[in-house]
Amino acid sequence: MRRAMSPLASTLIREITDRPQQFHQLVDVQREVPWPDFLRAWGELRRAEILSRDETRRSH
Amino acid sequence: MAGELGRFRVPVDVRDVSALCAQSRQASLFETLKDYPGWRLAGALLTSRKRLALAMGCAEDEVARRFEEGLGRLIEPVVVENAPCQQIVLTGDAVDLAAIPYPMMHLFDGGPYLSGTFVVSKDPEFGRNCGSYRLMYRSPNETGIDLVSPSDMRLYYQRRLDQGKTLEIAVAIGCHPYEMLAASYKAPIDLDEYWVAGGLHGSPVPLAKCRTVDLEVPADAELVLEGELLPIGWTADEGPFGEFSQISGDVKWNPVFRIKCIMHRRDPIFYLLQMPWENDWLAAPVTEAAGLRALRNASVQPVAIRAPVGSCGYWTLIASIRKRPGEGKNALLALLSVAEVKLAIVTDDDIDIHNPDDLDWAMTFRVQADRDLIVVQGARGKHIDPSIKSWELGKGGLPTTAKLGIDATIPEGVPKKLYRRIRVYGQDRVKPEDYR
Repeated sequence: MRRAMSPLASTLIREITDRPQQFHQLVDVQREVPWPDFLRAWGELRRAEILSRDETRRSH
Repeated sequence: MAGELGRFRVPVDVRDVSALCAQSRQASLFETLKDYPGWRLAGALLTSRKRLALAMGCAEDEVARRFEEGLGRLIEPVVVENAPCQQIVLTGDAVDLAAIPYPMMHLFDGGPYLSGTFVVSKDPEFGRNCGSYRLMYRSPNETGIDLVSPSDMRLYYQRRLDQGKTLEIAVAIGCHPYEMLAASYKAPIDLDEYWVAGGLHGSPVPLAKCRTVDLEVPADAELVLEGELLPIGWTADEGPFGEFSQISGDVKWNPVFRIKCIMHRRDPIFYLLQMPWENDWLAAPVTEAAGLRALRNASVQPVAIRAPVGSCGYWTLIASIRKRPGEGKNALLALLSVAEVKLAIVTDDDIDIHNPDDLDWAMTFRVQADRDLIVVQGARGKHIDPSIKSWELGKGGLPTTAKLGIDATIPEGVPKKLYRRIRVYGQDRVKPEDYR
């Protein structure tokens, strides 16, 4: 069962579910979020193993 | 540092430091970082051969020989107490990579990554090894590690993986350029790179015993990560990275590094190695010194050598030699034996190999393609060279490459006088200023 996600991690999941995109695009959308908070939320996504990658360099 | 350091005093977001470094002609020191109180960040320290030469205390055309000197006087490191890198020690739940200024580097990167790393590991048979590997952020206590290319540490990891065991590693960031050069050097597997760094310094490298792994790190480092590579093989996606080949790479499959301990100085300076230029300038003297050694081992007398930055200081070696019959070819074979050098050019010592026009002239008039080219097939290659088509190899596969040598020395049997360069009549005697 997936661990409860932080609001920011949930937002990131929505972003990449709605539109597969490159990492920098996620960063650009969340520029107002302090970088340490963004990194922790990104870590939640990685730990939950919900990311997959393809050769076109997109996260989805 | 001879006017080579630019200071940024306004607080900077860590997401923007690489962009600022890339636009600065000087090395960069960021004195205040947003959201990272107490941290400073230094970047792009060695993005020119001039600054590399300054760091090595020699002239720009002497960096290869200076590096070679260091290789010739290996000095054993010493373990010291009260190391600066251990002023702050964080373990357990306090391990949080998000609390260190992990920088964004390139537009198409798959995440932020650590670039200026000095990574230490040990093998019971081969001993201690130091290298430099990129670590892309995964979570507060995990990174990837770009262990795709053949290396001693890759072998150490494979040996542990075969036993189903982890490999302990320690990662130091913010080390002296001599440590970074030693880590870049492809030393024989049983040679400890700390001895090479000691030779470059001319004194033993002071080391600190790690707290949670059986390894030692440079005591003067700014930041240290301790932990282990999980025995999962090359299965975790990592990247793309902006590569030192100046290309945005593809996703790779790599092991995962789990961190047990973070140590740093009380007033740490994070080091951002600015890819690709800083990496390329660090690579050049190592490749050049390896070329000089290979030539001497082949009993060829080198006069000058250059690993051009267009080849990332890595894939091409150009050398001029004092040639005896047949040594053009011997020199090519020696140069092509160096790491992943895939193009070697050899000239006589009357050619200035730093002058592209002079080099073109030699290749035009001293080369016959049916006699003076050497092609070697199936040599060791590097994934990040797209012409290798490494995507066909599958996860964990190792690529091979073809190598080309061009003998641009005066061919045997052609009299030297046929290459006498024209000189303008009276040039040494008549001066324009006398007629203005």
